[in-house]
Amino acid sequence: MGAAGNPQGRSGTRGTRVGLLRVVITSSCSAITLRQNGGRSIRVGCMRYLKLLLLGLWGHVCGVQAGLPDFQAYPAQGERLLLWVASERGRSEPEQEAARKLAEQGVEVWSLDLVNAYFLPQLPSSMDRVPLQDLTDWLRSAQASGKRVTVYAVARAAVPVLRAAAQLEPALRDRLCLLLMYPNLYTVAEPLAEPDFLDLGSLSGLRVKVLQPRRSAATPWLPSMLDHLTQLGATVGQSMLENLRESYWARETPTEFEEAESQRMDAMLVNELNTWECK
Amino acid sequence: MKRCLATLAISLLFNAGGHAAGFEARASTPAPALEARNLKGAPQALADYRGKVVLLNFWASWCPPCLREMPSLERLRVNMAGRSLEIVALDSAETAEDVNAYLSRMKLGFTILLDPDGSATRRWKVFALPTSFLLDAEGRVRYVLTGPTEWDEGEALKVIESLLAEIPMPSK
Repeated sequence: MGAAGNPQGRSGTRGTRVGLLRVVITSSCSAITLRQNGGRSIRVGCMRYLKLLLLGLWGHVCGVQAGLPDFQAYPAQGERLLLWVASERGRSEPEQEAARKLAEQGVEVWSLDLVNAYFLPQLPSSMDRVPLQDLTDWLRSAQASGKRVTVYAVARAAVPVLRAAAQLEPALRDRLCLLLMYPNLYTVAEPLAEPDFLDLGSLSGLRVKVLQPRRSAATPWLPSMLDHLTQLGATVGQSMLENLRESYWARETPTEFEEAESQRMDAMLVNELNTWECK
Repeated sequence: MKRCLATLAISLLFNAGGHAAGFEARASTPAPALEARNLKGAPQALADYRGKVVLLNFWASWCPPCLREMPSLERLRVNMAGRSLEIVALDSAETAEDVNAYLSRMKLGFTILLDPDGSATRRWKVFALPTSFLLDAEGRVRYVLTGPTEWDEGEALKVIESLLAEIPMPSK
């Protein structure tokens, strides 16, 4: 059984890098030591320390971190591991609750909020700034757990997840399954203009299932989206979520049905994991 | 550092743009064909309205911003009675039952058409709801608006009046 009420926050972040320098704060405020990647050290004064601190914060904002992203783990003993990547709006309470319930049912969950992990604005465009290497390493570390790994990504978060999957070795990609909740894969989507999809790299061997709320402006475009993923080499499937809108678990004015469904997101995901061929 | 500043500036620009509703002028693009059925099942075509300015609104009953602008569309219809303006609201990818359930709560006098399979939505390349098109009397797309507005005032009314002003007065 998982630690449902008290999820552990496993930090994979290695620290802040500013260009080629790594900031190491010493015990004194009078000076700090800057260590170059090659190992040579430079001592600098306190005013410079302040400047460098600001530079470091700026570096955080601009996403120049390296290493695994911060994520919340909901451990469980089962053989499944669900990597839950929240949308560009960040992680919501119903999503955390669903992760706890999944862990209680034996599905381990690693919950990743990209905008929070990388201090990004809550915008779709922020997803294009996520360090791909971090995410690829995260996928690799999940697969190294020996569990059956499925990634569940919401909205624009599908973009860095698919790109990271494209960077995996083919053998690892073959073992990966992706559930994408109303993915937004467009570069341009303007009235009267042909939609233009992002180039995500080769997805050959990857199995992708799109979960599409019926009540969405994207629903009529689902076939085009699936075609695009197929052209990139993925094996695709779809599941239509009737009477639901996008982000139904975080609506300001949800319908009764949406409220009920947001309480049973865990059951919906377990059902998808059980019925999908990707096992 | 410069790249960071530029990225921040672009992000702010996009963010601000997201809140500013504005009509996008088009270079008199010929409108795609549109044939759809109304709530009684009768077929109607956009070509039927040639000679009139047409406000074509893509909407859905589950979409809160779409419903928010409906009262202003109805007020526009009432205010423009007798003038060469046709308001057509095309419901995107829903059943007649869904639409009728909404209309039982909101009485609307303008034309409502159905696009149950989303084919018209795809043909017009509509990716967000509501999306509205203003067509001139020649059937050309002149303005596009993504997002809701108050149709009976401000910029919306000005744009509609400008298209109505292009229609030649009937000779006596």
